[in-house]
Amino acid sequence: MDISREAYKRVTVITVTGRVDSSTADQFEAAVNDELKSGQRNLIFDLNEVDFLSSAGLRILVMSRKEAQKGGGVVRLAQPSDRVKETLEIAGLDVLFESFPSREEAIAAY
Amino acid sequence: MPTRSLVVPAILAEVAPICDLVNDEALAAGFDSRTSYACQLAVGEACENIIIHGYGERASGQIAVTVNSAPGALTIELADTAPPFNPAERHPGPPDPDNPRLGGLGLLIMHRVMDEIDYARRPNGNTLTMRKAQEAGFDS
Repeated sequence: MDISREAYKRVTVITVTGRVDSSTADQFEAAVNDELKSGQRNLIFDLNEVDFLSSAGLRILVMSRKEAQKGGGVVRLAQPSDRVKETLEIAGLDVLFESFPSREEAIAAY
Repeated sequence: MPTRSLVVPAILAEVAPICDLVNDEALAAGFDSRTSYACQLAVGEACENIIIHGYGERASGQIAVTVNSAPGALTIELADTAPPFNPAERHPGPPDPDNPRLGGLGLLIMHRVMDEIDYARRPNGNTLTMRKAQEAGFDS
């Protein structure tokens, strides 16, 4: 799994690639917490190249949403892969996240 | 009925090869890619439970995986020597999008994907058997 972050005027895009499971979730969570602690409340997760998302990754998405909402922010998804969509649907959590077909469209939503 | 087996150390880094085996056998059973992914997801959750909640802080242990595939049907057996841990009886209930939980998501995925989950406690460990048929879809 690789993670990169890109700050825009109103939102930070966190791009995750590869496999997100319990063996990699700590790295993902650290990146998210770093943004939340810095005061960023608007986050986009670009998950186009995630090929496996387990409950450990889901937990971080749900936690991010909760924390962002506490501060008046919004978490959105950009171009989630089929695998990401399937994990969200199986867990019944797809309704929690607004998804956009491109990163640009997700950024424009803020 | 083709059978493939794998024995791996009970560490998180070894879950991916187990998922790969399940995916291969699910595709061989004729499952579509969505169902194959769902099976590897559910088995991955079961393995993570064994490692994190079964073996816990114990330094050593193994997971023995046996996958049987037949046209349209897949059976996965996970055997370990951890203390008793029965995910089959821990059904977390339906998801609540208005108050999404942070815990129990792995169990939720296992129960929603698999048609059957059976647990047996043996004298020296646990055996978890999961079954999935292609046409069954996901439970709510």
